[in-house]
Amino acid sequence: MRHWLRSFALLLKWNMLRVRTELPTFLAIQTLISAGIVVGFSLLIPEIDAEAALYLTSGAMTVSLITVGMVVAPQIVAQRKEKGLLDYQRSMPVSRLAMMAADAVIWVVVALPGLAVTLLVAVVRFDLELSISPWLLPAVLLVSAGAAGVGYCIAYVVRPVLVGLVTNLVIIVALMFAPINYPAERLPDWAAAVHEWLPFQYMAQAVRETIDAPDTGVAMLPFVIITAWTVLGLGVTSRVMTRRA
Amino acid sequence: MGGEPAVLEVERVIKEYRKGVRANDDVSLSVSAGEVYGLLGHNGAGKTTLLNQVVGIAKPTAGTIRVTGRDAVADPAMARRMCSMQPQAQAPLDGVSPAEAIELMARIRGANRRRAKQRTAELVDALDIGEWAKTTGERLSGGVRRLTAFAMAAAEPGRLVMFDEPTNDVDPVRRRLLWAEVRALAENGCAVLLVTHNVIEAERAVDRLAILDRGRVVAQGSPADLRGENADRLRLEVTAVDSAVARDLAAQFGGQDRGENGAGGGREDAVVVGRRMMATVNAAECASALAWAQNERTAGRVDEFSFNPVSLEDIYVRLVGSDGGNNEGDRDAALVA
Repeated sequence: MRHWLRSFALLLKWNMLRVRTELPTFLAIQTLISAGIVVGFSLLIPEIDAEAALYLTSGAMTVSLITVGMVVAPQIVAQRKEKGLLDYQRSMPVSRLAMMAADAVIWVVVALPGLAVTLLVAVVRFDLELSISPWLLPAVLLVSAGAAGVGYCIAYVVRPVLVGLVTNLVIIVALMFAPINYPAERLPDWAAAVHEWLPFQYMAQAVRETIDAPDTGVAMLPFVIITAWTVLGLGVTSRVMTRRA
Repeated sequence: MGGEPAVLEVERVIKEYRKGVRANDDVSLSVSAGEVYGLLGHNGAGKTTLLNQVVGIAKPTAGTIRVTGRDAVADPAMARRMCSMQPQAQAPLDGVSPAEAIELMARIRGANRRRAKQRTAELVDALDIGEWAKTTGERLSGGVRRLTAFAMAAAEPGRLVMFDEPTNDVDPVRRRLLWAEVRALAENGCAVLLVTHNVIEAERAVDRLAILDRGRVVAQGSPADLRGENADRLRLEVTAVDSAVARDLAAQFGGQDRGENGAGGGREDAVVVGRRMMATVNAAECASALAWAQNERTAGRVDEFSFNPVSLEDIYVRLVGSDGGNNEGDRDAALVA
């Protein structure tokens, strides 16, 4: 475990050094996108009631975490794969999981300020009254981990040239065809049934209920299901990473 | 020497890919502490494949690999801890400077902060890359990137260090510095396994070597062992005025039985490449061969000639042949027997 933490810390430092010049740009763009989604949604749908506003706000936050974990991260991994950098990393004496975790931390760091901005803009724009739960941070971290787990899985399983296509598909589903920005009831039954097995709606629910906790309390089912997806994603990734040609 | 096992023991390793391609075919070798072992061969001879199996990126189809006496195939994580490697692929240096990358890698390999800093300073100095030590990777030349990757592996080497084509893109002066560092690693007790297709440089740097051809070890031993009976021979290289004359000289040189005028005495194969002719000559026959060459030059058929000790490269080319290589010049090489 000490070895694990040590290599994790050193890999994290390496990653920090690697992105230090781009980090301000990443942060700025990610923050702008997060604020833009809220404003954009309100243009798309002029009359927004309190429930819809809550869905759109938490949806914007969820979509930005999904973008970072399932789109940006796999694309960067695919680039590294094409450059042959993965074989270099594979020859290093560090755990595969530490390597993935050190990567994921960077993406969460990139996403976090954007989330705060989204909340702020939403409160101002929609006059939302929120009751933020202490589970918000764990929820955000878990959703990030789940998104990154699935994202890495895409990056390692799919051929690099196809990664861009698959991630585009993911983002379209997340934005429009997943019960993230609206309740599942609006979907046809079969689609709602499919989403009971996918992580999207649970990610949205976890974020939604922790920024505005329902009277019945924050449901735990989403946390369980996202954890399962995280374990599945990282498990498959780890197997592919350690598989020896 | 006693009962201490070699740091790296490779025994009868076979690596077969789908479609039955054998990248390694019954390869056995061992590298001891303090030894620099060279792995020579054409592109695609199976050198990198062997290294990848040692660190668990690839898995042997058959055979055993032991690192410090322990099974590296069963426990690749152990192998990665015990040995550091400079892969042939470029190191991930985007956004980080050579000094940062070398220090971080040393620390990842287990060095404490002080030692990592100290080793980084030593290597930056020894390889003469101080000028770029603080420049980030994307602005570095290929040679400096390669030297940085070398230093990343050499900073905290473990018991076994493996370098895969470490001198690619590196300028001649810094190549020498690099070879000196390779020697220093061995002197400090590391086992060094070195992959290269640069035979001339390897000859000076390695204690023992294996020549791989299409996955098989075709020769193994010290450079002197490999030279064997060629040790007391010299290589005559003649540049003729044109290729027709070169062929004619080769025929003349090789075609005469010993004793007629001495020039053909002790000949091996005479090889013609373009207008160059090369042949090996027994040391005892050297004087007559020299006279013959001088005659030809006086006659205006030869521009220049030289005698050199038979090099490892000559032996390498003879063993491996030129068909597997991608050297343009080899294609019109003709053996005149």
